[in-house]
Amino acid sequence: MSAFVIRNFFYSIVIIIGVLTVTFCLLYIIPGDPARMMLGQRADVASVESVREELGLNKPIYIQYFKFMTNAFQGDLGRSYATNREVVKTILDKLPATALLSFSALFISSILGILIGIISAVKQYTWLDNFSMVFALIGISFPSFAFGLIMALVFGHLLKWFPISGYVNDGLQYLVLPMLTLALRPMAITARITRSSMMDVMSQDYVRTAKAKGLSSGKVIFKHTLRNALNPVVTTISASLAATLGGVLFIEYIFNWPGIGLLAIDAIFKLDFPMIQGTVLFSAIVFVVINFFVDIVYAMLDPKVKLS
Amino acid sequence: MEAETAVVADSILQEDKSRSLWHYSWKRLKRNKLAMAGLVTLTILIIVALTAPIIAPFDPNQQILEYSAKEIFFKGTVLVKKDTDPESDETSYIPVKRLISESGSSVTYLDFSDEELTINKDEIEETSEGWTKTLNYYLGTDRFGRDVLSRLIYGSRVSLTVGLVSESIAIFIGLILGSIAGFFRGKTDAAVMWLVNVIFAFPAILLIIALSVVLGKGLWQAFIAIGLTGWVDIARIVRGQFFSLRETEFVEATKAIGFNSARVITRHILPNCMGPVIVTGTVGLASAIIFEASLSFLGLGVQPPTASWGQMIFDGYKYIVVGTNWGLAVFPSLAIMITVFAVNLLGDGLRDALDPKLKR
Repeated sequence: MSAFVIRNFFYSIVIIIGVLTVTFCLLYIIPGDPARMMLGQRADVASVESVREELGLNKPIYIQYFKFMTNAFQGDLGRSYATNREVVKTILDKLPATALLSFSALFISSILGILIGIISAVKQYTWLDNFSMVFALIGISFPSFAFGLIMALVFGHLLKWFPISGYVNDGLQYLVLPMLTLALRPMAITARITRSSMMDVMSQDYVRTAKAKGLSSGKVIFKHTLRNALNPVVTTISASLAATLGGVLFIEYIFNWPGIGLLAIDAIFKLDFPMIQGTVLFSAIVFVVINFFVDIVYAMLDPKVKLS
Repeated sequence: MEAETAVVADSILQEDKSRSLWHYSWKRLKRNKLAMAGLVTLTILIIVALTAPIIAPFDPNQQILEYSAKEIFFKGTVLVKKDTDPESDETSYIPVKRLISESGSSVTYLDFSDEELTINKDEIEETSEGWTKTLNYYLGTDRFGRDVLSRLIYGSRVSLTVGLVSESIAIFIGLILGSIAGFFRGKTDAAVMWLVNVIFAFPAILLIIALSVVLGKGLWQAFIAIGLTGWVDIARIVRGQFFSLRETEFVEATKAIGFNSARVITRHILPNCMGPVIVTGTVGLASAIIFEASLSFLGLGVQPPTASWGQMIFDGYKYIVVGTNWGLAVFPSLAIMITVFAVNLLGDGLRDALDPKLKR
């Protein structure tokens, strides 16, 4: 087990090095001079030169790369062009809002998704199954911003059930619409996976045996089928967590939710490259870290995963 | 009698002919009503995109500022100016509130600033309705007074082109890297998989946005940004197929005959990967369309005035906040949803149809 953890740890580090390299390349190939972007077009040559000096932009690329890597591993991703605040600090300030939104959406989507998947699998090929699966496919087909707009229109403007702009400091009702919008896609994916995985397991001999023994259908479904069908579902949910990090982008923007997504969109509109780079990098690293832990939990739960 | 026998014999012969996997897959796909609905919708969308200049009631960029942000089924009255410049095929309209009088050689009308103006009949065209013409805006107009329906129709071109081109780029890269990893294995495989895992770690939409910001705004940039991100799924599938196909006897046989690697890959292994690649590519096409809309929404895709659905949603979004003209955002949202839904229905159908484990 410890060998498995250590090996996975080092592989995660190798992936993070790759992630850092990709983000470094992104910043390196942007058109224009970062020093000039920081100071604005009217800055004099001397101060631009001194900023270039300070950022190490006049050094050869491999030295810049090395400096970027060492800084990044020490948690320094530079300063925002727009606010001159440290990128990492700004992101960490916004993290709680995004984490609240992501986890609550993931929680709702997992419960509903698994439930819909079970019902579909048990009642397969009935109208209920067809309806759920078409609904799930619609859920996958909606871009988050388009769905968010329709949610805002229907539940915010027409029905006036929930506020469409703001943060939970003013009450939990602010969480409802962004959470449901973010939950749609992972819920749809989870429902589809649960259904197909349940159907695989339901055709197994031991399920038939359980039924033949005269166990109640509830026991057969939850104890014998669902437990064995959950593996791919858990993988999907952990992958969804990473996907919500991309999903929050537009949803936070539409519902004016002060998280990392809104931060990233603002940075994109202002062409604040260090901030864009920081949010991209942060999301990727969170993904690698989550995957690292999920793999370990997975290995502990499932004896079939090879530890060697 | 003889002729009849011949026909029967012919049909028996036909039945007997060995059929390809594609034949049976197509048969299975045809039985899947949802998949066929998706295929038909997609075909209609492609026809709409190709014939946009014919079926769109307006030039998508024709602005009549007086008709800014009108509701659906808005009708506008205009005078049609005569075409003085034979070079351009744009028609210019003069929006009027109503005609006041018509005398001899000129027409007097009330314009939108409530001014009475007179125009010579030589300058305008006579239509079936007299000197004015009624313009029908079935889905209303946007804030520049452009026809929403025509912009929706033209927007399908952007969505489908970016979707198809960028997914083709993704499939191309994925096929090459996946084949290399799957065929040579060992260190080559480890290197390719490292790259796959690195790209996979980024939320796709964020990486695409970052790439577009770096590459600049525009259509080509969108192709590249989406294509460079989408190949990982294809590469994984192809690599997996190579791993299982390498063990089969027919691949063993090609080596025994002494074919070189390139020939084994392109002629014998890749054709057998096509099923899963088509299925994954269809799913990728659906995502690519969503990604394009997302880029346009942020103003990073094709640039105005070219109509694109994402851009239309972004413009309409401001109206939803105010609480008016919700159609401006809802219609393009539905257009994207229907397109992606159709692609996903087809993808689901293809997954079932191309699964060789299923019976005919």
